[in-house]
Amino acid sequence: MLRVKEGDLYPMGLLFKRYHRELFGFFYHMSGNPDASEDMVQTAFYRMIKYRNSFTGHGAFRSWMYQLARNVLLDHVEHNKRSARQHNVEDYAERIGGGTLADELLQKTEQATQLRNALARLSEAHREVLVMSEYQDLKYKEIAEILNVTEGAIKTRYHRAMNELKTIYLKNEDER
Amino acid sequence: MKMNDKHISCEQAKEWLTDALKGELSSEDQTVLDAHVVQCPECQRELALTRDVRNWLQTDETPEPSSGMESRFYNMLTIAEQENNVQTPNVPPEQVGPFHFTRKPMVWMQVAATILLLGVGVIAGYWLRSRKAGDELAQQKIDIMAVQMQEMRQMMMLSLLDNSSAVERLQAVSLSTELDKADGKVIEALLTTLNYDTNTNVRLATLEALIRYTDEPQVREGLIASLALQDSPMVQMALADLMVKLQEKRSVKALRQLLRQKGIRKTVKTKVEQSIIQLSSV
Repeated sequence: MLRVKEGDLYPMGLLFKRYHRELFGFFYHMSGNPDASEDMVQTAFYRMIKYRNSFTGHGAFRSWMYQLARNVLLDHVEHNKRSARQHNVEDYAERIGGGTLADELLQKTEQATQLRNALARLSEAHREVLVMSEYQDLKYKEIAEILNVTEGAIKTRYHRAMNELKTIYLKNEDER
Repeated sequence: MKMNDKHISCEQAKEWLTDALKGELSSEDQTVLDAHVVQCPECQRELALTRDVRNWLQTDETPEPSSGMESRFYNMLTIAEQENNVQTPNVPPEQVGPFHFTRKPMVWMQVAATILLLGVGVIAGYWLRSRKAGDELAQQKIDIMAVQMQEMRQMMMLSLLDNSSAVERLQAVSLSTELDKADGKVIEALLTTLNYDTNTNVRLATLEALIRYTDEPQVREGLIASLALQDSPMVQMALADLMVKLQEKRSVKALRQLLRQKGIRKTVKTKVEQSIIQLSSV
């Protein structure tokens, strides 16, 4: 990345190859919208090129990338003029339509639907820490670096988010 | 929060459970947790629940991004590269890297230089043929023309060096070796190319070209300064070699700094270390 900072854009292609899926995953799980996620990946890489001078070389590239990605996401949410929650529910609902009638798959789809609804009900901060931790495989320490808070704060946030999710899960089980 | 007596509360155990499933629990804590869970039915239920919820989370699989995403990225990158080549972004000069080397379209200058060079050649040939070698006036004129030719070559070289194509810049560098003597402008242009050209091959060729002028203090100082600016292992090693060849002791400091550079290749490191030893023993 330091090479990119110095103006050599060639390694940008390598960075894209290495990280575009990961970034797509982040945007996808945060927004629930695959098309918008692709656009956000594009925007994120565009900003990486544009603001390459803000990468100090201290700390990991990945943290810097996520910091940038969070801003892209924030812009996306604001741009849509809809609350992220509403957005998610709608996007998620769109995605589940159709599908096979095979029992097992149906059950899986149902579970996935419930999960998306559950995630959409969490606060943005709680969902974010869950997405980063569970889908992006980031360690507490890495998440703390990205969000610029202490590792302890992230642990607490993660546990709260997890407890919230557990409550929703148990409620769903009862209703079934 | 670690307990000295190796017992933990259910509350603590529940927190550790998720950490354990995430692989973020130390083996020491893991042992304490295992001991607790084995004898606590409530925490066993919690463990099962945490597992279920994490499995539940995995039901939302990440889809494959479309293939169009990659091509859109490369389109954007190409545009960014082009923009990068023509405009210098608003960054302080010390941050300006190799790609910010501004290249102005100087095709007309190249064409003009070629025509002039050709003209001078033809006239020189005419003079040589029509006048006897002993003719003093003719000799003077030939001398003048030789100087003019030298100037033409220099101008052509400088304009070629400003070209966006690496091949043309290589040509310019090789043209510089045909110059009888290089003046400050040429040396300066070569040093700039050595430091900021985007192409490693051009930089290497420039280094070769500069070796001819190492008697000039400006060149020596420029080469030492260049050590800090190079990021290509090839150029770094070639420079280190040259420093030893020139017995340039003043470069030791710059070489040491190079060693501290982040991400320096092992081969370069070894080479630089050797060079420092050789230079220090001189």
